[in-house]
Amino acid sequence: MTSNDKSDLTPAERAAFAALPTEREPSRVLEERTVHELRRRGLLSKAGRRSSWGRLPMLAAGLAAALALFVSGITVGQWLGSRAVADSMAAAQQENALELAAAVQRAGSAYVTTLTALAQLTDSSGNGALAQGREAALTALYAAARELVLLAPDDPVAIAIRDGLDRRWSAAATAGQADVRNVVWF
Amino acid sequence: MQPFSTDHALTDVTVKPGLAEPDDKALADRVLRGRDEGAFRALYRRHTPRLFQFVLRLLGGNELDAEDTVQDTWIKAAENLEQFRWESSLHTWLTGIALNRCRQQFRRQDRNWLAIREDLGVASRNDRPHERIDLDAALQGLPPGYRTVVVLHDVEGYTHKEIAERLAISANTSKSQLSRARHALRSRLAPGGEQQMRVEQ
Repeated sequence: MTSNDKSDLTPAERAAFAALPTEREPSRVLEERTVHELRRRGLLSKAGRRSSWGRLPMLAAGLAAALALFVSGITVGQWLGSRAVADSMAAAQQENALELAAAVQRAGSAYVTTLTALAQLTDSSGNGALAQGREAALTALYAAARELVLLAPDDPVAIAIRDGLDRRWSAAATAGQADVRNVVWF
Repeated sequence: MQPFSTDHALTDVTVKPGLAEPDDKALADRVLRGRDEGAFRALYRRHTPRLFQFVLRLLGGNELDAEDTVQDTWIKAAENLEQFRWESSLHTWLTGIALNRCRQQFRRQDRNWLAIREDLGVASRNDRPHERIDLDAALQGLPPGYRTVVVLHDVEGYTHKEIAERLAISANTSKSQLSRARHALRSRLAPGGEQQMRVEQ
């Protein structure tokens, strides 16, 4: 692509155009966003995974396990369940820091979006449900702040959130309202 | 937001000592045949900085829109990679896809985005004659149709014939647009009458 029609530009103008930067890095999150979207559309498979042919034995084993679950009932079911959790944890361990950072961003966006929807909800579900949603949000915030303190022990913001919520629940417990913290999943 | 770490491991595209870096076609084949994420990341990192700058300039400096457009471009490219015949470079193909995405955006905002405008020469002069603005800022101030032609011709080096093909206009229209766009640009850059574009140091 060469142009032969730059003749009416002055030398200074040509120099000005030539001096314009030709490259610029977008935010690092964009790469993760793009890869995530391509994976979601089935156009990429996760790095390091075996091909679908390589996973055939695993799929067969899964099918066999499902049959065993059907035949053997709850005991086998519990065993498979715990194995699935272990597999998920192992997968999470294999993620790299960049992907996990992007996952945190997505989870954060979902958290805020859901809270926004909750805040805008007309009170058709009753105050009880809204209070439960608020409590769930605070519990999640507390758990996140606790993890952030582990990640960055000197971060004053994370410490303030964790300690503030600790104080809130301690005060509630003292006042005999310990049951307000009724969302537990951590 | 803090910048993310840049030390992401590209296990699948690590270049062994003494071996040449895989070319675009080899990487694209791996994406096509094996849905190879490492190969895609290598392509992405090779081409995105230039693509992003191009899109950012076309969209008048809006970084969020530019990132969305670059993402759409890669998705569209991945979806159509099998149809790409390698008669042009991958960069040229990506640029074409990105240009189409930008045009769609302009059309959504204004159906007559490519129309020649007569009112720009004086009306869009810099209101603050004591301040000289740089070329990229002046480009951002142009209407999308003018900006597109200047970016394609004077920055990216396309010919009028190529611009005409990509924008579905005649080469003569491309020339008129460029002439008027340059006039508007000079007007913006030289409010005191000096018709010079500043070279950024």
